[in-house]
Amino acid sequence: MRAASVGTWRAAGVAVVALLLLPLVAGEFWAYQMSLLYLYAIAALGVGLCWGRAGFLPLGQGLFFGLSAYLSGLALIAFDQSAWLLLLLPLAALASGALALLIGTLVFRRRGESGPYFSMITLALALLAGQMANNWESVTGGFNGLKGIPGLPGLDSFIAAYYVAAVALVLACAAVVWLYRAPLGVLWAALAHNERRVVLFGFDTNRLKAVAFGVSGLLAGLGGALYAPQQGLVTPQLCGFVLSADLVIWAAVGGRGRLLGPVLGALLIGALTSALRDSFRFWEITIAIVFIVIVLAYPQGLIGVFAPLERRWGQGRRALAALAAPPRRQPGGALRLQLEDVELQVGEVRILDKLSLAIERAGVFCVIGPNGAGKTSTFNLLTGELRAQAGRVRFDGLAIERRPTHQIVALGVGRKLQIPSVFAHLSIADNLGVALWSGRTSASDLLRPRLRRWRTPLLAALQERYPFLAEAQRTAAELAHGERQILELALALLGEPRLLLLDEPCAGLSPQETAQVIDVIRWASQRSAATIVVIEHDMSLVRNLAEHVFVLHNGRLLAQGSVAEIQANPAVKAIYVGSEK
Amino acid sequence: MESVLVAQALNALFAVAVLALIALGLAVVFGLLGVLNLAHGELVMVGAYCAYVAQTHGWPFVAALPLAIAVCGVLGLVVERWLVRPLYHRPFDTLVVTWGLSLLLRKCAEALFGLGYQSINEPLGGTLDVLGATYPRYRLLLIAISIVVLGALLLWYGRSRTGTRIQAMVDNPDLARALGIRVGRFAAATFVAGTCLAGLAGVLIAPLVPVQPFMGLDHVLMSFFVLVVGGLGSTAGLLTGSAVIGGVNSVVSAVSDSTGGYFCVLVLAILFLWLRPSGIHARR
Repeated sequence: MRAASVGTWRAAGVAVVALLLLPLVAGEFWAYQMSLLYLYAIAALGVGLCWGRAGFLPLGQGLFFGLSAYLSGLALIAFDQSAWLLLLLPLAALASGALALLIGTLVFRRRGESGPYFSMITLALALLAGQMANNWESVTGGFNGLKGIPGLPGLDSFIAAYYVAAVALVLACAAVVWLYRAPLGVLWAALAHNERRVVLFGFDTNRLKAVAFGVSGLLAGLGGALYAPQQGLVTPQLCGFVLSADLVIWAAVGGRGRLLGPVLGALLIGALTSALRDSFRFWEITIAIVFIVIVLAYPQGLIGVFAPLERRWGQGRRALAALAAPPRRQPGGALRLQLEDVELQVGEVRILDKLSLAIERAGVFCVIGPNGAGKTSTFNLLTGELRAQAGRVRFDGLAIERRPTHQIVALGVGRKLQIPSVFAHLSIADNLGVALWSGRTSASDLLRPRLRRWRTPLLAALQERYPFLAEAQRTAAELAHGERQILELALALLGEPRLLLLDEPCAGLSPQETAQVIDVIRWASQRSAATIVVIEHDMSLVRNLAEHVFVLHNGRLLAQGSVAEIQANPAVKAIYVGSEK
Repeated sequence: MESVLVAQALNALFAVAVLALIALGLAVVFGLLGVLNLAHGELVMVGAYCAYVAQTHGWPFVAALPLAIAVCGVLGLVVERWLVRPLYHRPFDTLVVTWGLSLLLRKCAEALFGLGYQSINEPLGGTLDVLGATYPRYRLLLIAISIVVLGALLLWYGRSRTGTRIQAMVDNPDLARALGIRVGRFAAATFVAGTCLAGLAGVLIAPLVPVQPFMGLDHVLMSFFVLVVGGLGSTAGLLTGSAVIGGVNSVVSAVSDSTGGYFCVLVLAILFLWLRPSGIHARR
């Protein structure tokens, strides 16, 4: 990781000065307009976080804005000018955050669904909230809303309200910058594009997504809590569909993928709307068309215009000193692995048929067998992605077949998938980071940006063998296929698991690259006491690597033994070249 | 007493039939193409405004039906060609784009007709005696239409060559293409069929609801929940889903209020997401 460049600091400084001077330059009307837009921008920041970072789209963010606006308005009316408000207003924002976290936990819990289901449920919740606010007249004031809300104690003027909103916006941006720089932000970006891979590094992605949604709810709540004293009126429309839709539009048009995109969108579109809405009848139609065009053709949004500038500022950063990563939290020694009479059926197809095998020591083991023998399915079973209908799977004697994948991985399992599935849009450094954090981090660690400076001796050794791994700023998308396979292998190794599952590590590699990979696997097995299981088709490779070979056929263990024993086995010969009669 | 029960049963049947009619277009597009058309509700809204236009011009009510087919058909063609087709392999972006489209249609309706509520006269007034209960004739007609439309579509899909080809396309588009089925054209036709069905449903419900630009939101959500509960890709799923969602919504709304009904539907949808993510009638 590198420190923020001088340019970035300078830009941030200019922005803050502009915020401070605006009311003096633009006059009270615009100060009033902008102070409202700042609050919307805070909420839009949350939409950008969910959609641009973590890859799911909340369509009902108005719910959280409106909820905390109502709570804050009720508190302001009940405790007018009292010091209690200092406590109650943050609580109003927190209530929105907590509700979002709860909803996220509930919706993501089972399937990790982040497509249409999540979006539709959030949309429905916002409509429901709007209805409730309308109907629950005794508390919310019904259709006409909660009226006569006093301002913040001592900050009642337009200008004071402006500065309150501006400070809140700056703080919210700073908090989100922090999150994006912390491992949590990297994991969000990683899971948006390949959630399965993140799970296979031992992270509970459903919880990570729920936290992202919780943070977005908190941001919307912050905006809402300040909206009530600023505007003096809270109506049901705030909870419902219209604000929710505007927030999504602002985030998209401004640029959801970057921190300041949604802020830019909210301020620019919001200001243009209040200037043009009455004079230009088709303004909102225009905005809807712009939104569609942006989604179809220009996903980086308006902020994308500044990308070249940003690259220039990006020069001249200094790299920060590396930190030694702690060892992985796992028991020492090789992992004892047992499969007992495992049966697995998907639909009509029987994949594993009373498969039993055991690996009780460290070393390199190969699994071979014709296509459809159940090799990859066995790996999926070991990492909990498939559930056996019958039989037992034990790690160190512990039955794991009912555990979720991320918990199994946390026992000390690493996996390389058959198709290279590195995080293509992340930098090499962040790819390596995700692997290094696997099994070494607690929940609170994920908030510490310094973890991006972690290094291990294994990483240094890998970088010495493969210098491209040290080109931290390149994105993985720029790598050639062979390099991606190496990166994928490096990711699997870096977690230093006790059980390493490699699915065709040499698929698609040239003979020279294959030799290198074999070399790395051997070297890794000598360095650690890990059990390494390799699925492989290429017999020359198996001869080179394997201390022990398992032959799978039709979901059963056909034979096992040393390479020589397997090659001499008539049953194995029969399935590969047809039996001799 | 008996007549009250019959009326209640007819009410429930009516709710389910109308919901199935509205959800049908979404079921066709989502179930067969995997495209969640978030603008589905707005197409229903467009259909309802067709009925309004017919009424203001003094045309008979049935004239709104071809008008809605024409308008929604053209809309469907344009949308499929320019918005949906580039995104067939990016379902998430399709969701976002059709959401943008729903916004656009709403704003257009707002610009053309204003935000106010419009009411459409029932083309078929009066009531009919059903087993001792008096029930509005137009509602009975809607129930009949819903049954006929669903039945006809089901028969056609199961029996006709085109139906078989569409099934092939849904099952394996690449293989279907290799067999000479023009997958692109079938997908476009399927999408347009979905939008036309939405428009027709809009015309038919127009006399029973206040017509206004925001009316589509509830319809798309309810239709979606029908598919979540019922499962995608089968008529049985559509009917079961409509029965469960329509039934729960109308019973709870009758006992408490519409907010309560809405809340129960939402909770039910979340429960299904956990316990039976592919619905009651999973395709496979």
